[in-house]
Formats: sequence, structure tokens, C-alpha cells
Amino acid sequence: MAYKYYRDNRAFIEACVKTGDAVVVNEEVDWDLEMGAIVRRTCEKKGPAVLFNNIKDYPGFKCVGAPIATYRRLAIALGMDPNSKVPEVSAEYLKRTSDESKAVPPKVVTKAPCQEVVLTGDDANIMNLPAPMVHDGDGGRYIGTWQFVVANDLDTPAINWGMYRQMLFDEKTMVGPVLPFSDMGKMWHNKYQPKNIPMPFAMVVNPDPLSAIASCAPASIPEDAFTSLLMGEPVEVTKCVTSDLMVPAHAEIIIEGVLVPNVTIDEAPFGEYTGYRTSPREPRTVYRVKAITMRKDPIMAMSNMGIPTDEGQLLRSFSLGLEMDKLLRSQGIPITGVYMLPESTHHLTVVGVKPAYANIATQIGQLVFGSKLGPWFHMVVVVDEKTDIYDKDELIHALSTKCHPVNGIRIEKHGVGTPLNPFASPAERKLGSAPKVLFDCTFPLDWAASDIPIKVSFNNVYPKEIQEKVISKWKTYGFKD
Amino acid sequence: MAEWDTYINIDFTDMPEETERVAIIRDLTPGKYKYRSTYARIVVSKDAAKYPEKLWVRLGRGQLIPTPCSMKILEFTSVIPQGL
Repeated sequence: MAYKYYRDNRAFIEACVKTGDAVVVNEEVDWDLEMGAIVRRTCEKKGPAVLFNNIKDYPGFKCVGAPIATYRRLAIALGMDPNSKVPEVSAEYLKRTSDESKAVPPKVVTKAPCQEVVLTGDDANIMNLPAPMVHDGDGGRYIGTWQFVVANDLDTPAINWGMYRQMLFDEKTMVGPVLPFSDMGKMWHNKYQPKNIPMPFAMVVNPDPLSAIASCAPASIPEDAFTSLLMGEPVEVTKCVTSDLMVPAHAEIIIEGVLVPNVTIDEAPFGEYTGYRTSPREPRTVYRVKAITMRKDPIMAMSNMGIPTDEGQLLRSFSLGLEMDKLLRSQGIPITGVYMLPESTHHLTVVGVKPAYANIATQIGQLVFGSKLGPWFHMVVVVDEKTDIYDKDELIHALSTKCHPVNGIRIEKHGVGTPLNPFASPAERKLGSAPKVLFDCTFPLDWAASDIPIKVSFNNVYPKEIQEKVISKWKTYGFKD
Repeated sequence: MAEWDTYINIDFTDMPEETERVAIIRDLTPGKYKYRSTYARIVVSKDAAKYPEKLWVRLGRGQLIPTPCSMKILEFTSVIPQGL
């Protein structure tokens, strides 16, 4: 049975406008920094998404910014009430995606909105698309910030949808990092490139929201099948015009071409999801464009990465945390939940667990740091089952009172990491090396019951009847809420 | 005088002058093609008046050097193999 969802991002944004979660800007805006500054400001204010209807130099194009930068908009994307709480949104995601046997392949359609206009040859000119200059000082205009790249493995049926950024270089060329531990990186660096074979790609600009969420999710099944779990029915795809790659039919713009083997071009710097411009200008993977297909009235999309919260931080935190939840439960760990804080730019995750045996926190750290998810974060905080993992006040209290500064902190010096970690030394960035740290905020099991400190809180140190009496008379005492 | 910019991953004081080198330069002419990049063989001077093209320099993480240089473009080049 299909869930309520939006077939394309324009319908989603329309829904967001109705709930006050998106604004429409009809005044002309400049793609050169002005759009970026507006989107950055709304992200920092936890404000609405924005639809730009009038872009300087690009009549006929629109652009949406910050499409899913809040949990409210994530709830809307999932067809839920925008007022849903984070645990409710998480529970819905887990409900839909935990049974991967329900995933179905995509449905292929021959007439697709994303191919209403087909441009090839010299007409396939990416400088005719309103790629924004997102931040002052960026190495170029970033055409790929809210998009994903579709790629097929060279010698297996495996496909990948993944969000990998692309900087516009010239009319036919884009450049971007393809990290070796990413799914596409494994295809590219281990298979195509050593054989000097160009790898076909299709860049899906402004996809429907659930396909976008799937492309961010580190799932163990193909992302098109994962999208079907989120939708409750197959995602509609169509064949590219220059390759056999399949792309979501209801996307706004598709850029097709090949990754060029054994050639690099300098890319970056770029304001990144960590909230810093960390990685320097460096030689990166080259994408060469063969075709552009799009709707007749196409809508570009942009995410403006920087200090929290943008959609990259929110969605990666959301899906990384919940994939960790699945992993830990699959191993029989008695967790109460996993929450990765978007404000940590998906670097810090909180795991609630019933401390059933000694060193359970260490086991959690080893599992999550050692998994496919591990390179993307470096801090795990393990709290007991009585701590609300979604409550930052409780987290800080637990961390600063229950984590022993020596015995409670476990460090792994040589983990796998990204080159984008602002704290990492230049050598660590170059190697993709990152230390990892676990904070164990559970009291040791070998302490006598009489030695364990008692938490002094309203819920913990008053009899139930006193709590109920105080709550029932709260307003009578003179309190407003 | 056209305006361009380029990035360097070294200190500005160490930037080579008066020697031919290949660099990526970005066209800063306003309009749809602003920030279009290209490889070029160039000669740079920190003397803003010496060569016909104005060149702004940015460091590896985007920091702009506040005073421009000048540049002579000898030829445009490409690293993309033919046919791609």
C-alpha cells in the first residue's frame, strides 16, 4: 500500500508553502551569492524553504533552496503532520524501512516529465542552468548540492544513488570529490578508473523528496528499492537518453555524461556540511556532460551547507542514526534508540542502552565505528535506558556527570574518516584517517547498588502520588504552564 | 582589461612571478558565464599595471588577497582527452 508522498519536489514545496514551511520569492534574485545568502540565513534561523521564481540571467528557471532543512519538512516529505516529534518521524522511517524484503524494483516508464526537454551536443551546456555561487570564496558555482548521482557498477548489476557534490568548471565539465570509501567511489576507483573506462553517470537535480532521502541513506539495498520502502510502491524511473542508467522520472533536471578516467581538475574550496571550508583546492574527479534533459519549466535546487542546520546535516544525521539503530538491534544489543544530532553535523551520535552486561558501550562503539557507516562520524555517546536521547539537556547532564574522564572515554586513534573533518591534521585529511571517541555514560555494573548515585529529578525522587498531586494542582499554585 | 581570478595553495609571498606556468583561471565577466574556468598558460606579476589582464588571487580556502595582480595569457589549454 502506498504511503502519502509527493511524486515530485514541486508538489512537496507547494505543500510546504501551505503549512508555512516554504516561502515564494517573486522578486528578482541574483544567482551570484544573493540566493546563497538567503538560503544560508534561513538555514541558520531554522526558517522555511524558499522558492525563487525570478533568477537574474536565467528567465524561465526557478530554484528551490533548503528543501528539507527542518524536521517539520522531513515530516511533510514523509506525508506526516509537520508537528510530529522527532521520535515519531524516526519511528515512521524505521517502520517503513526495517523489513527490506518488502522492497520492490523501480517501475520503468517511457514518458517522463524529466525528459520534456532534451538537449545534446553543444546545446547540452551546463552554464545555461542557474547554478548558484553559493558562498563567497567557493572554488566555483556548485551545480550539485541538492541532487544525486546515479551510477552502475562495471561488472555487477549494482547501482548507486549518492549525493556527491559537483562544481561547475565550464560548459561541459563538472568536478567533484568521489571519496574512495563511498559506494560510487568503490565502483570508480576500484573498477572503471584502473581499466581506463569512462563511467556513465546521471545527475538527478531536484529529485522528489523521498528519492533524495533514499540517496542520503546508507542502506544495504539499492537506493531505488529503498525509495520503494519509503513510498510504499515502486519509484517511477526512466532510461537516460545517452546510457542505460535509470533516473527518477519526476525529477526536474537530469545531467548525463561520463566520469573521465585518470584525469583530475582542481575543485573546491567549498563551504561544507561541517560548517567550515576545510578541504583545500585539490585535484578531483571530472564529470563530462553529454546531455541535459529537463522539464519545460525546470526548477533548480540548492542546499547551502554551513553551520547547522541544512538538509545534508539533517538527513544524514537522521538516516545514519537510524541505520545504526537497525545495525545494533540486528546484533541483539538492547538499545532504546539512536539519535544523531543534526547540530553535530552528523559527527556525534547518542545511543540509549540497557546496560545488560559489562563493556556494552565498548561493543556499541566497535560495531558502529567498524561498520560501513563509521567513516562519517567520530563521536558516540552511550547513555542508559532512562536518559532521553533526544533531550540535549539530559545528554549534557549525563555526559558531564556519568562519563568518567579516564575510564569512560575510549579512543581509537586510527579510524577511517573523511578529508573534511575540520579538527583533522593536514596529514589525516590527506589519508582519510580519523580518530574515534566513545563516551560511556553508564555507571559500571560492578558497583554495589548502594554506591550508585541517585538521580535527583522530579520524576525520580518523589512518590508517584506526590508527582500527580503537584502536576494536577500546578496552575492552582499560580504557574502558567 | 578583463578580470580573472585564480587559487593558489601556497603563501601569496611565494607565488611565482614572471615565469610561464599553467593555471586554472576563472572569468569574472558578469553574466551567465561568470566563474567559467579554464586552463591557461600565463605569466603573472604582482604589479597590477604590468600586464593587460587583471588577476585576483585567492588562497586555498578562498581567502581573497585584497590587491590584484596582472596577468598575460599566452594560450588556453585543456586537460580533457579528445572525444570526451
